[in-house]
Amino acid sequence: MSAVSSWVSETLVRDATERRIFATLGLITVLLVVGVLTGVIGPRFLLFQIALVGMYALLSLGLNVQWGYAGLINFSVAAFWGIGAYCAALLTAPNSPLGLGLHPVFGFLAAIVVSAFIAVLIGIPTLRLREDYLAIASLGLAEVIRAIILNEDQWTAGSSGISGIPELLSWLPLTDAATTAAVVVFLIAVVYLFLRRVHRSPWGRVLRTIRSDEDLAKALGKNTYQFKMQAFVIGSVIMAIAGAFYAHLNLYIDPSDLVPLTTFYIWIAVILGGTGSNRGAVVGAAVVIAIREGTRFLNDIGFIQTLGVDLAPLRLLFVGGLIILIMRFRQDGLLPPKDELIWPAARDGSGAGGASASGAAPDGGTSSNGGDDR
Amino acid sequence: MIPLQVSPFQYVANGVVFSSIIVLAAIGLSLVYSIADFANFAHGDLMTVGAFSALFSVGFLRPMLGDAGVFGLPLWFFLALAFGMGAAAVISVITDRVVYQPVKGSDSIGLLISSIGVALVYRALVFLSFGTEPERYGVPRQGPIPWVRETLGIAVTPRNLVVVMLTVVLVTALHLTLTRTTLGRKMRATADNADLARVSGIRTREVIFAMWLIGGALAAAGGVFLGLEELVRPRMGFDILLIIFAAVILGGIGSVYGAMLGGLVIGMVHELVPLFNQWGIIPVGSRYAAAVAFVIMVAILLVRPSGIAGDSG
Repeated sequence: MSAVSSWVSETLVRDATERRIFATLGLITVLLVVGVLTGVIGPRFLLFQIALVGMYALLSLGLNVQWGYAGLINFSVAAFWGIGAYCAALLTAPNSPLGLGLHPVFGFLAAIVVSAFIAVLIGIPTLRLREDYLAIASLGLAEVIRAIILNEDQWTAGSSGISGIPELLSWLPLTDAATTAAVVVFLIAVVYLFLRRVHRSPWGRVLRTIRSDEDLAKALGKNTYQFKMQAFVIGSVIMAIAGAFYAHLNLYIDPSDLVPLTTFYIWIAVILGGTGSNRGAVVGAAVVIAIREGTRFLNDIGFIQTLGVDLAPLRLLFVGGLIILIMRFRQDGLLPPKDELIWPAARDGSGAGGASASGAAPDGGTSSNGGDDR
Repeated sequence: MIPLQVSPFQYVANGVVFSSIIVLAAIGLSLVYSIADFANFAHGDLMTVGAFSALFSVGFLRPMLGDAGVFGLPLWFFLALAFGMGAAAVISVITDRVVYQPVKGSDSIGLLISSIGVALVYRALVFLSFGTEPERYGVPRQGPIPWVRETLGIAVTPRNLVVVMLTVVLVTALHLTLTRTTLGRKMRATADNADLARVSGIRTREVIFAMWLIGGALAAAGGVFLGLEELVRPRMGFDILLIIFAAVILGGIGSVYGAMLGGLVIGMVHELVPLFNQWGIIPVGSRYAAAVAFVIMVAILLVRPSGIAGDSG
């Protein structure tokens, strides 16, 4: 028990601002639980929202590897998400144009392989160049992929979409909503632990160096192109996994969600949460879902309906304004990365001892300054 | 109207008109890229803002001026064009003051991300003020000019001609401004090396002010022409943004003359895609016109990262 509480105090609540943020989040959680217990919120609805938050959190973690760790501006989040979703849908749905009806495992595997392949293809021409080239090229790639899925309806069913996607693990003795929520929590845990491990490894430290000063990394003899490519592929694969999960959550997929706005939602989640921070990515994803669902709730309030305002543009306005405000007032986000690169043992001064602690401290310094160097 | 067997020259003619629009937009984007030093993702939506501002002014200009016309188009259209250009110029200057200047502390990436927020806000405001439906300027329908059709066998409407002519006028005016005036020399100096320009006594704030005015006005002209040729839609600017970026990159980022050349090439390729498809050069039709333009951009990046006219990348 004391181990848990010390973990909480070390990783979650480090200073006053963060304590306030987590207190707010805790309060919202309590309110949600009370809402379910009193029957205001349906548990099924809440579990679906949790699964959705989880999916957004996965996408944010994927983007965080690319933008937060390596400084790569990827505007094709929606495309890699769509690749994952379509791989899962095409292989597993019995009434998809391919009509295979395979086990969901093959859908996830295909999502990983195809997204990795496409990430390499788009990375080869763009990762050697200036960072803003990747922004433009990746947005272009996303639109090309959307055009292909929309137009090649003999393979992808075009705008009519694919339905009849099977549910995941339907043999588990849980409701379907609970099962998907459990699956996404499992996926996030695996991805989170994996990312924390690689981020603290020498590989992660090289990426941080590339992000703050690529010439320095080159001068130290690092093949920065290789490192950036690896980060790009890892991030894209995580996004595709999120997409494959979404196909099994929503049980229906069509190209309308592949628009650039989806990508910008994930960007908000990452920069709001704190660029480079995995904790922040998860929190940011929850905030983004709150924005989306909150504006949908407004739709149901009679007063606003009588005003005759269309809420889709208001949401757009809100999202755009939020991006501008974050970039102006809190570029580091809500939970900026502090010492995520430091091994806990090194921080305590125990374990490997003073040598590793002093070795790790400068890295920690770079990481907290990373936000300002941008 | 168009003969069944479309002449290859027809595609070239369409290409010239579409290129004009792309060139106008690409110049503004390239100016921002070279002087303010960031990729402005709000530039497409700035075109939309200009096009809708012009549409707004049509509402009061048309009753005032009636149907008197010049060059085959009603007079009110030209005034609406001027109004749209002015409105977009003012809006882009205000945007710079309110949004971009305060974030100046961070580098070009912070500005790039901010510009996405600006793009979404522009589009939301257009949606809120004009609704989501496509609109028209209400310029009377015109057939192709008869003598062009008889001599060359291609359909060219008076409005096509006006678009191309006005583009030539605007581009020439910009060229003269950049080469013959003090302001132009200051702009080129700032684009080349902002710090050096400041040290040698150029007020870069004024240059940036002029840059937003010119870029915004040209973007609006492109937007109005696009609305005249097709429809005035709230998403028109964002849908065309990638093609404009392709033109800017193709020409070499930051080079205004490169952007003109890149716009010409990309616009032409975009319209020639059906012809290439007909000839069997490429396997896809006009649905993938934007994708083909984009693939060409990536190919150019691979071979020559600095673009056609750029120096070192």
